[in-house]
Amino acid sequence: MGEAGWQARGVVKGQASGAALVSQTALSFLGDLDIRSGRVVGRSSDLLGESVAGRVLVLPASRGSAGAWRFLYQLKVHGTHPAALILREMPDPSVTQGAFLAEVPVLVAPEPGFWEALRSGEALQVDGTTGRIARG
Amino acid sequence: MELSDRDLALLDGAEGDAARQAMEALVQLGEAYDAPDMVEIGYAHVHAGMALYKGDVELIEATAAQGAKMVVPVSTNIANADMGDWQGTGAPEALGLLQKRAEAAHRAMGSATSFTCTPYWAGHWPTWNMHIASIESGVTVFANSVLGARSNRDGFFAVYAGMTGRYPRFGLHLDRNRQPTHRVTVTARPQGTAEFTALGYAIGAAVGSGVPLIRGLAARPTLDDLDAMGVGMATSGGVAMFIVPGVTPPFGAEADAPGLPEVEVSEADIARVFDGFCTGAEAGFDLVHLGCPHASFEEMKHYAALLTGKRVAEGVELWVTTSRAVRQMARDAGLLAPMLAAGARVVTDTCPISCHFACTCSPDPALKVMPPKLRTILVDSAKQAHYVRDMIQCPTLFTTSELAVDSAVTGRFLPRRRRNG
Repeated sequence: MGEAGWQARGVVKGQASGAALVSQTALSFLGDLDIRSGRVVGRSSDLLGESVAGRVLVLPASRGSAGAWRFLYQLKVHGTHPAALILREMPDPSVTQGAFLAEVPVLVAPEPGFWEALRSGEALQVDGTTGRIARG
Repeated sequence: MELSDRDLALLDGAEGDAARQAMEALVQLGEAYDAPDMVEIGYAHVHAGMALYKGDVELIEATAAQGAKMVVPVSTNIANADMGDWQGTGAPEALGLLQKRAEAAHRAMGSATSFTCTPYWAGHWPTWNMHIASIESGVTVFANSVLGARSNRDGFFAVYAGMTGRYPRFGLHLDRNRQPTHRVTVTARPQGTAEFTALGYAIGAAVGSGVPLIRGLAARPTLDDLDAMGVGMATSGGVAMFIVPGVTPPFGAEADAPGLPEVEVSEADIARVFDGFCTGAEAGFDLVHLGCPHASFEEMKHYAALLTGKRVAEGVELWVTTSRAVRQMARDAGLLAPMLAAGARVVTDTCPISCHFACTCSPDPALKVMPPKLRTILVDSAKQAHYVRDMIQCPTLFTTSELAVDSAVTGRFLPRRRRNG
């Protein structure tokens, strides 16, 4: 799609917008996040100290537990959930099920140019139904 | 996705609003994972509704209030309080009462209110090739690897599978994913469930979310050993299935995995798991825990024999955690009396890492949950040790079941001794 945006695979439907929060490390929704604040507390994450609340969270992968769904849903209950998730590879079924419950759109495997062009903090509009990611 | 006539009728609301919503969610899941169609579910192990997570019991209540009914056998997973005696574990009254509301909701939907991480010991025993859904990773690995049933590591959607009897065909529901990815050679000679949890923990750390084929065990492991090994793997890694040739259906004794990545697990690897979870002071533990995952009847027999005629030391609490069904069997067999006489507490529905001791939960502030200050918890399971570290965030001591009981009685930690070979 070039300058204006990129195409990805829509996994969980819905539209969202927010500032990108880009990580190079895998994140575990169980253990790496403080539910009440939405802050990353996992020491293995390069997002340590950042808040995922309202951000379009861009990760290489999700790690870990079958309990991931509950923590993603708990972020929603506490209003600290990310606006959307963009992942390089398909997440565990548990993460996907949590995203459905929390109504957080999930997009996977954006076309290659995305990873080079995207900067943390850029405003993004994402559509989990069509798989479209756009700037602005 | 190819949908059956009944799938389409469910989407049309023929079996009610709750079933329609469940089916819509399952279709979305299937589309996400490119499932060609749906499989018939024979059993589901579902979310308890956790009182330590705000809005979570209410989520199950809302499903029940919509008129949801389970159409296949359903068991419920471990919960956040002993619903028969939360006071005995020091849980706040409001927490116990909230947790008990989940019990009523599950009963209304027709689920067996088992509240355990080992529903198989309580009678839910799916068989070869049965498609199931499970929210508990330990149940998933036992079903896939010991029983030959087929399960992914699910989340909340196990409830939807129970309500519809349907689930998208992907992951471990497909033959092509039920094949080894690693060839593991065990040179260690583990004995007893504590050591088998450590063996599993070492394997899981090496293979991640792979499917290890495990060779070299000295003898066919007991059901308790297989259970222990599986939960160890599902804790340190994302293992959903292991293969022991001659044990895991349909793999015969001759099954092997030449050419795949090799992993060797020695006595030194097992000792490293035990040592890694010995972070507490040897005389400074306040709680000894047995029964992770929830004890089987065989384990209850073993614990009762170890505790007969003994007395837990002053200042130490000893918890044995199991399911309601197994506790009843133990009571009927005269096994509870010697445990209680020794000063042990037999807890059902929950365990240290699942109860109000955990400080990583997010309960409604109105419940006034304050995790107690614990110095050190002494355990006989690598799974419990891992989550005590991460969720209760206090030091651990890890040893065999026999030495854990001796430690509780003497008040002094007795570490596992290394084995030769």
